[in-house]
Amino acid sequence: MTETLVAARKPVAVAQRRSRLGLGRHVSRYWQLWLMVLPAVGFIGLFMYVPMYGIQLAFREFDFTAGLTGGQWAGLKYFQQFFDSPMFWTLLRNTFVISITTLVVGFVAPIVLALMINQIAGGRRKRLMQTATYLPHFISIVVIVGMLQAFLNPSTGLLTQVAAVFGLDGVNLLGDTSAFVPVYVISDVWQHCGWNSIIYLAALSRVDPQLYEAAKVDGANRLQLIRHVDVPSIVPTMVVLLILTMGGVLNTGFEKVWLMQNTLNLPVSEVIATYVYKIGILSTQFSYATAIGLFNTVINFVFLIAANAIARRVSNWSLW
Amino acid sequence: MATPPAMSRRAFVVAAGLTALAGCSGKNSSSDPNTLRILVNKHALTKPMNTMEWTKQLEKIAGVKIQWQEISADWDQKKSTMLAAGDVPDLIVGTNAITNADMGTYRTLFENLADDLDALPNVKALFAAKPELKSMATLTTGEVYAVPGYKRFWPKTVTHQYINKQWLDNLGLEMPTTWDELYTVLVAFKEQDANGNGDKNDEIPMDWSPVGTGGFGYFQPSVLLGSLGLPIAGGGGQGYFLEDGKVGNFLVDERYKRVVQFLHRCHAAGLISKNVMTQDYSAYQAVGRGSGDVAKVGFSWGWTASDRFGAQLADQYVAMPPLLAEAGQTTPVAWTYDSNNENFPSNQIVMSAKASNKQAALKVINAFYDKEMSLQVLFGDLGRYVKKISDNEYEVLPPADPKTDPSTWKWTVTIADNGPTWIRDDIELKLPADLDEAVEQTKPLEKALANMDPAKDVYPFQFIQMTPEDTNQLALNNTTISNSTMPKFAEWITKGGIEDQWDKYVQQIQNAGLQKNIDIYQRYYDEYMKTR
Repeated sequence: MTETLVAARKPVAVAQRRSRLGLGRHVSRYWQLWLMVLPAVGFIGLFMYVPMYGIQLAFREFDFTAGLTGGQWAGLKYFQQFFDSPMFWTLLRNTFVISITTLVVGFVAPIVLALMINQIAGGRRKRLMQTATYLPHFISIVVIVGMLQAFLNPSTGLLTQVAAVFGLDGVNLLGDTSAFVPVYVISDVWQHCGWNSIIYLAALSRVDPQLYEAAKVDGANRLQLIRHVDVPSIVPTMVVLLILTMGGVLNTGFEKVWLMQNTLNLPVSEVIATYVYKIGILSTQFSYATAIGLFNTVINFVFLIAANAIARRVSNWSLW
Repeated sequence: MATPPAMSRRAFVVAAGLTALAGCSGKNSSSDPNTLRILVNKHALTKPMNTMEWTKQLEKIAGVKIQWQEISADWDQKKSTMLAAGDVPDLIVGTNAITNADMGTYRTLFENLADDLDALPNVKALFAAKPELKSMATLTTGEVYAVPGYKRFWPKTVTHQYINKQWLDNLGLEMPTTWDELYTVLVAFKEQDANGNGDKNDEIPMDWSPVGTGGFGYFQPSVLLGSLGLPIAGGGGQGYFLEDGKVGNFLVDERYKRVVQFLHRCHAAGLISKNVMTQDYSAYQAVGRGSGDVAKVGFSWGWTASDRFGAQLADQYVAMPPLLAEAGQTTPVAWTYDSNNENFPSNQIVMSAKASNKQAALKVINAFYDKEMSLQVLFGDLGRYVKKISDNEYEVLPPADPKTDPSTWKWTVTIADNGPTWIRDDIELKLPADLDEAVEQTKPLEKALANMDPAKDVYPFQFIQMTPEDTNQLALNNTTISNSTMPKFAEWITKGGIEDQWDKYVQQIQNAGLQKNIDIYQRYYDEYMKTR
């Protein structure tokens, strides 16, 4: 992670100049670095690139007897089937709504939290606050959904009881279609906000104290300090993380959505991942499921490229 | 095809990475011929296989060591990847563990038992005694890949209807016979202190088992369709039903609309549990058992009163006949017909085409269908859980632990209904209390069940073998259809609106390919009836 950050901090022009060195010469000159990166390259190659031969399943009839890649060529039949399916727009809409909301809220919240924690004076209080906010990250999803069900239970839930005190009777946050996304996103942010803020805190800790001193001498108040010193210093980190998350824009967390699904919220909670599971794993239509998964990946890929291009235009920071 | 009782979703968290499939090799890990690998689908309660006596007898009969692979959770995902990788153990045991749809795709993995029947005298005898099982197991092309079973004693229905008699007596009310009378009774349950504990607000007038996102199952209000004479099977499944030899789907039937309207009326009056759409099965069970001597639920559905309300409260409840939709209606009532599911369980055991020791595997299959072995598999070891009185008289003993109900006991000491069994028609068997109770509590429903002609009003789902193309077509459309219908069912009951949305909804379901599916089911049914 830090390597990418360091690399990203180099203005693009410099990076282009450096690559004039031929690959062979580069390896012989910096062989120690290549050796260090070799396990990672091997891992990615073996587990990410080799299995890609299975993608052809999306263009073939899955025929078990002929092996994974021996089925009849079906062309774009399964993609056509997905686009023509009455479920298509619903799935796409639900997936987008859930992931974009999570992405936006989940991107802003850790930054705000990091800036806040950074303002707390005193090492011990700061550490306590940080620990308290990142601990939920380690609770498993099953437990989180169990907690949600316990707190939001329409008759015995803690939050439902609190709502009843304020005169909101008969709230069913578990089953309400309009409540599904907020419940999903808020619980998600609560769980991962602290963890994701760590990287920003690291970036903030590197800010030169002299900058603060100088700003204070110029008469900056606390908010102005944050605006003119803290925020600019974490912009590169923000951009890189934003680009990386854009690459997973359609990857809603399958487990959490699946566990939170019930008959009442199904119209908004059926996403591509859960549909692929129902069709692919439970009704063994592997070709169709692969096609949908591939479609999902292509969309993600487009978002990643676009986000990177926009970032390069707008802020002069980018991944490549 | 029929939806199994809903399982807790929490039992099924997964990494559903289909890419994982790509990494699997299609190699069959060969094992030595002196060990038989048997995968068995078990209930979570069931004790380890090697602590049962009958498993040791199986080893003796087969003359090999048996290595049990015991699976009690997430079978659907494990199966998917296991089959795609082509790595199948010598035998797979479990009712419908391998479905007809799996057979369609992975036929080559399994042994065609049609040419091995000489080595399987018990199975041969079963097919001779129950020709319907033979036709059920045999594909149109003549192969037999899985052996079904026969359990004989199960009542025609799994879903029974109960009302709290003590509450009726406390409030001086009559047993309801129609929907309107039920409504009145439930209002009284809600507004008065029916259970007499001083708290007027802790009664839940009506509750049912969680309706999943994939369709209807046992103990759900889909049985109210019977009040309007609509016959369903297996609790309703994905809505397909047979009426006078014609296939339909109740999800677009006017009678379903009426049931939903009635349930909405109840829900609007606060007569249905607030958690009915979001609770899981264990919560629904726990609420039914009340606290101590105080019952919480007035009217509900279940397998037996003891299973639904616990031993302590069971006596407060009585089983009731189906309600009439209207007083004095001429339409004969129906119910849900589950006998096929229960008494003729399909696909109980399959064998790998590459079994390490074919003869031993065949011996094991044959042994399962032996007279006494079947009893042991279903109810537990002979001598310990089943008493032998004479050569054709047996008695299932009550649980050794008095706090356990017979049903839980059975699932603890053996693989019970998951195991391959043929209970002979000519033996005398003293049934365990829960089965006795279920048979007893089916009596009020007998008349309604008698109104249903098993040949013309019950779709023979498990007796029909379809082509993989048709199975895929059905699954695809049904996933889409369930995605629209199940949320609507929940929404219309809790919020209403069925009157305004009905026509558009029916149109939408038709567009999702409903008619295509109905035609497929109809075609297979017509072909099936020709062979009868």
